[in-house]
Amino acid sequence: MQMVELETAGIVKRFGTLVANDGIDLSVARGEVHAVMGENGAGKSTLMSILYGMQAPDEGSILLRGQEVRFRSAVDAIDHGMGMVHQAFKLFNSLTVWENVVYGREPRRGPALDRRAAIAQVGALAERFRLSVDPTARVGDLSVGVRQRVEILKALYRDARILILDEPTAVLTPQERDGLFDVIRTLKADQRTILFVTHKLHEVMAITDSVTVLRQGRVTERMATRDTTPAEIIRAMTGRVVNLTVDRKPATPGAAVLDVQGLTVGTGAKPVVDKLSFRLHAGEIVGIAGVAGNGQTELIEALTGLRRPDGGRVTLSGRDVTEADVEAHRAAGLAYVPEDRAVTGTARAASAADNLLMGYQRKAPFTEGLRLNAKAVAEHARRLIGRFGVKIADETVLVGTLSGGNLQKVVIARELTHQAPLLIAEQPTRGVDVGAIEFIHAELVAERDRGRAILLVSAELSEILALSDRILVMYEGRILADLPAGAADEDRLGLLMAGRTGQAA
Amino acid sequence: MTPRPSRLPALSLPAVPLAILIGVVLGGLLVLVSGGNPLDAYWRILVGSLAPANWPDTLNWAVPLVGMTIAAAIPLRGGMVNLGGDGQLAIGGFVAAVLPVMLPQILPEAIALPGPVLAALAILAAMLASGLYAALAALGEVRFGIPMLISSLLLSYPAIGVTSYFVGFPLRDTTTGLSQTAMIPEGARLMTISGPLNIGLLMIVAVAALVLYVDRRTVGGYELRMRGLNPRFTAYGGVKPGPQMLRTLFASGAIAGLVGAIIVLGSLYRFQDGALLSPGYTWSGLMAALLAGGEPLGAITAGLFFAALQTGGFAMQRETEIPRVLTMILQAIIILFLAMRHGVGRRG
Repeated sequence: MQMVELETAGIVKRFGTLVANDGIDLSVARGEVHAVMGENGAGKSTLMSILYGMQAPDEGSILLRGQEVRFRSAVDAIDHGMGMVHQAFKLFNSLTVWENVVYGREPRRGPALDRRAAIAQVGALAERFRLSVDPTARVGDLSVGVRQRVEILKALYRDARILILDEPTAVLTPQERDGLFDVIRTLKADQRTILFVTHKLHEVMAITDSVTVLRQGRVTERMATRDTTPAEIIRAMTGRVVNLTVDRKPATPGAAVLDVQGLTVGTGAKPVVDKLSFRLHAGEIVGIAGVAGNGQTELIEALTGLRRPDGGRVTLSGRDVTEADVEAHRAAGLAYVPEDRAVTGTARAASAADNLLMGYQRKAPFTEGLRLNAKAVAEHARRLIGRFGVKIADETVLVGTLSGGNLQKVVIARELTHQAPLLIAEQPTRGVDVGAIEFIHAELVAERDRGRAILLVSAELSEILALSDRILVMYEGRILADLPAGAADEDRLGLLMAGRTGQAA
Repeated sequence: MTPRPSRLPALSLPAVPLAILIGVVLGGLLVLVSGGNPLDAYWRILVGSLAPANWPDTLNWAVPLVGMTIAAAIPLRGGMVNLGGDGQLAIGGFVAAVLPVMLPQILPEAIALPGPVLAALAILAAMLASGLYAALAALGEVRFGIPMLISSLLLSYPAIGVTSYFVGFPLRDTTTGLSQTAMIPEGARLMTISGPLNIGLLMIVAVAALVLYVDRRTVGGYELRMRGLNPRFTAYGGVKPGPQMLRTLFASGAIAGLVGAIIVLGSLYRFQDGALLSPGYTWSGLMAALLAGGEPLGAITAGLFFAALQTGGFAMQRETEIPRVLTMILQAIIILFLAMRHGVGRRG
């Protein structure tokens, strides 16, 4: 029988009328990798912020090695041996690795900071856990994968016995992910305990020892990983059986809808988007794969009119839209699901009807002269809510109250209903639960079959592979490879995403 | 999945009565400490503003104040701030004072414009001039990236200065010793309804109704509301941000110009240096608009409340030893407490 390192009993956390955690019992053995799974809104983040001392539970208790503890703050939790690597790193980019790691707990010699000792300690720690990080490197110069190791080092420097990793692989290439898994195994060998928060099933199967599944703030299942299957975990997460693969026939591409020639964004020797050219045809889904920050965002901004390109030519349905603004792009036939539904895709404090109207407000039947036809607006909203199964009481409810998946459905419903020849879908299922992913994928394929040209940008390789008929790999502003779907697999894409053409060919 | 506090509608019960109560109690204590009788003071304010005999005074004060509230609320509804109300007010008043005097002199004798036509022309010219001047501040942001908060405020000073120069020197009425223009012809003055009230009241009521209608029922109102909630959302949805800003500021400035014209054509009958600005309509209006987060109906209500409070303050000052600044203190306390309750400008 292994020792229990961390236990919670009946944790309850309410936000107003919403019960985010509803009597959660968690039991984590020392030295295990324990997955916490659940859809968006299941209560994972709330539970983790309670365990890391950022929020106090309304009821229930936390037991650390059998002792009841009450964290007053994150600093207090750290003193009790908790560590956390957040999804968005909390590092000073302009400082070096060692400065980031020792920050707040600097080794001293008299009143002065002992620089040499700090570098030596950080170096030794990195070596011991095989983190291979240069302590004197500037964090801003490091890749995302290495920055994550710096975060882990930070926690280990404070002697974290329990490490919470919140969606740690979301920003990593497959190779970096494998590197992270090696680190996790080393930590495990040192009897450190890992809480692994994710909703990627294959990772749970690959690295974890046990799984706790949350649904609507309650624990629905506790399982040993080796005794379970992905299908069983999904059933525990969603309460039903979900189809993981996307059914689709081969594409039948038609005429070119989007023609990009020598598109450049940024100036200087290394523009963010560097003389990029490709064509997108009616009836095909082209996926853009790449590690975030390789020019995808800027490419999409230039293609949608949010930003003027610095060079090249973009033709949409035969119209030159290179210098056109968003309105002209939309008039020429663009629908666009933006990367961030809450920041760009919706106005959270507006009703569903108002959100679903955007882009239609100057078209019949919604406008009569300068006046809006309130009845047509409401009918349009009700129709879309019904057709896309948005879970909302009625169209007058503010969308800020919706879960991530439902909010995304609002955006998808609005943009697909434009029936524009070109659809740009950026991270269409990021942070969305399994049920909504299945639905959104099916809708995208159906749109393709109706003859739309779809440009899909996704950080999720499995999504790119499941949906795309053709895959473009972006690296440092260029298209490194243009592969038919059949020729691509995760390993090959991963190498290309890291910029290695030689090994991938 | 921490639910973020959604922005509350800025004027909702019971926060408003509570803030007023706190303001009244604190203000009362202040009166008490300085040796006055708070109950007497409040009674004077109440009678001075709300007794039927004093309604005309209150309404007369409300016309410019609510007008400036609307001028501030329009851009605020779209998340923009027009701090140049004073300059736009001065330009509007100046144009409305000069045009009825100068135009008959320029036109050939044969074309004698009737007074009401002259007044209408003066009002339209004032609205156009102030609207364009406000749009200039928007142009500063759209074209040159000068934040409108800054450009609108800074453009206010030259407008005040230049009108002050004209009325002090080239256009000064030399028959008086003051910095003021010649009186406008009687026919071009606004028709009186009763007492101090003139048809300027009806114009502001009409503007208020129009603004409410545009806000709730039109495409432009929808686009402006959405911009106020999330400007990235409207830009992404294809609303051109620059022209929208220019249109909005033009409307805001035009209403400020209208207010200037109403004061000049309705009560002063001439442009006096500083007379439009000293009552502080711009800032009271901005406060009222901020309090309601730019929502027009709430803003108008708040503007009316401030007008009543300030009018009552004059009565109190006349009847007691207590100076009318007490009502400004009350106003400030109420705003502070409402802002606290609602987290005006709260992050997220």
